[in-house]
Amino acid sequence: MKRRFPWFSYLVVIIGGVAMVLPFLDMVMSSFKGAGEYGVIPYQFFPKSFSLDNYRDAFSQLELGRLFRNSVIVTVSVTVSVLVTSSMAGYALAKLRFRGRAVIFRFILATMMLPPFLLLIPVFLIMLNWPLAGGNDILGRGGDGGLTTSLVALILPFTVSGFGIFLMRQFMVSLPDEMLEAAKIDGANQWQIWRLIVLPQTKPVAITLGLITFIGMWNEYIWTLLISSSDPSLQTLPVGIQLLQSFLDPDRTMPIVMAGLVVSTLPVLVVFLLFQKYYVRGVVLSGLK
Amino acid sequence: MTTAVRVGAVAAPSVARKSFHREGRAAYLFLAPSLLFFCIFLILPFLFAIVLAFSDWGGFDLGTIEWAGVQNFSEVLSFDGAFVKPILVNTLLFAFGSVLLATVGSVLVAHCIEQLRFQGFWRVLYFLPVVATVVAIGNVWKMMYQPAGLINGVLNKLGVNSVGFLSDASYALPSVTVVHAWASIGGAVLILTAGLKSIPDMYYEAAAVDGATPWRMFWQITLPLLRPSLLFVLITQFIGGLQSFALIIVMTGDGGPVNATNVAAFEMYQQAFKFGAWGTASAMAMVLFVVIFVITLLQLWVARQRGEETS
Repeated sequence: MKRRFPWFSYLVVIIGGVAMVLPFLDMVMSSFKGAGEYGVIPYQFFPKSFSLDNYRDAFSQLELGRLFRNSVIVTVSVTVSVLVTSSMAGYALAKLRFRGRAVIFRFILATMMLPPFLLLIPVFLIMLNWPLAGGNDILGRGGDGGLTTSLVALILPFTVSGFGIFLMRQFMVSLPDEMLEAAKIDGANQWQIWRLIVLPQTKPVAITLGLITFIGMWNEYIWTLLISSSDPSLQTLPVGIQLLQSFLDPDRTMPIVMAGLVVSTLPVLVVFLLFQKYYVRGVVLSGLK
Repeated sequence: MTTAVRVGAVAAPSVARKSFHREGRAAYLFLAPSLLFFCIFLILPFLFAIVLAFSDWGGFDLGTIEWAGVQNFSEVLSFDGAFVKPILVNTLLFAFGSVLLATVGSVLVAHCIEQLRFQGFWRVLYFLPVVATVVAIGNVWKMMYQPAGLINGVLNKLGVNSVGFLSDASYALPSVTVVHAWASIGGAVLILTAGLKSIPDMYYEAAAVDGATPWRMFWQITLPLLRPSLLFVLITQFIGGLQSFALIIVMTGDGGPVNATNVAAFEMYQQAFKFGAWGTASAMAMVLFVVIFVITLLQLWVARQRGEETS
């Protein structure tokens, strides 16, 4: 239903678009504001001095380097693990015949209905009382912190994704059986079929799932906040930046926080813009199961 | 393909059964890491959460855990406490308000983008907040809401007095609700766009021949045919809103001023990790879970009544 000139649509989309982008512009502008330019009335949108002090302070006060390293380790580990486990489980559910397949598939769907907040307390307590970790005995007692004292704590609860398995399974169902049969006749075992024939063909959906996982983990906040509350060396970018803010005088720290946020948002923004086609498709897929 | 399998099965049943057996073992090996994970990080915690909700326990020594019956629930659900009112009421207002704003906004935007050129560009623009961390979103809006921030700056220019968006108890909840809606419009736009694209052009062409205005086409063709995606957006966003509290931690720190922005999942978090009241916190989690579960069932029921598949 295209018409001559959809001025009403342009109006709506542009006004809405400004509302979407303006907060991010304010973030960037504030990050360049020098001493005495932030928090003054009347409000000034553009910085006068374009100072880089906030960025310098963000790197020194925040130890951005360490936060960045933690974020990268956690995000990459989880993304790799989710991709591997999802494509393995997805292959079994899509292409192998075995007893219990329907039940397990339904179970995987059900896992997506359990809300994360419900598991927050028990998973924390399980990690804390993990047997033979962090000084715990075989019954998970006596130690100080169990599994919660290392970066493993930030990675482990996210290593498998029900949504990822579902996404992979849906994609793999549509792969032609003939190719797998041919490989089987040539004497390939299931591991080789998965590794050499199925995996290379799942590239598009793997990029989608990898992106969704990467961005989700890069931005993960609640669990990391909880685990790192007793050990600041485990902080990732979002948590470290947020905590700086609550300590000192807000008018002084807010521009530094903004500088930190610009630095931490840039990588994920670049990744998103490069692969946005895949990301968008993933969101639509998850919406139209 | 199917015939080939059938022929093989008839010709050599024992071979087929053997390969079925071997595939079964391979399948469970492929599934093993995931199933192990779900046992440790899903089933076990879920059962643990139920036990905790019915027990009295502080500290970390499992030996001191005691059965408390429904005492946690009667405490949590009592009208003397803060959980039902204002916290649960806040939760519903927050979820409902943000869903309402985000849905109306995203229907309008998704529909309008369809009329324009460079559709991909516009959708990416609206999707930016979905990619940003909640810490960025929360802090930027907190900054914009401040007395010396962008929004009050604009209000002052228009001759309106500054508003204490986050410090005034009557404005705080609507203020964070708006931010949550703002952040979720992009995802909804994408899902609704997929719904819009599935509406055949010929309906609009036929309506145009009959002389229908765009306004009538929107109400009588677009909206009714968009219903499955719309329902999906409404329900998933409502469920998301009910359990979201990261934005509230970032923007208000403690759910203040005086519980004005405190929501159920955040109260659970505080009870557990600030006060170590595992039982009380788990009972709160269960109450919220039941609310969400009922809504999910309602969604499935509504979808089935209408013969629509939404999930």
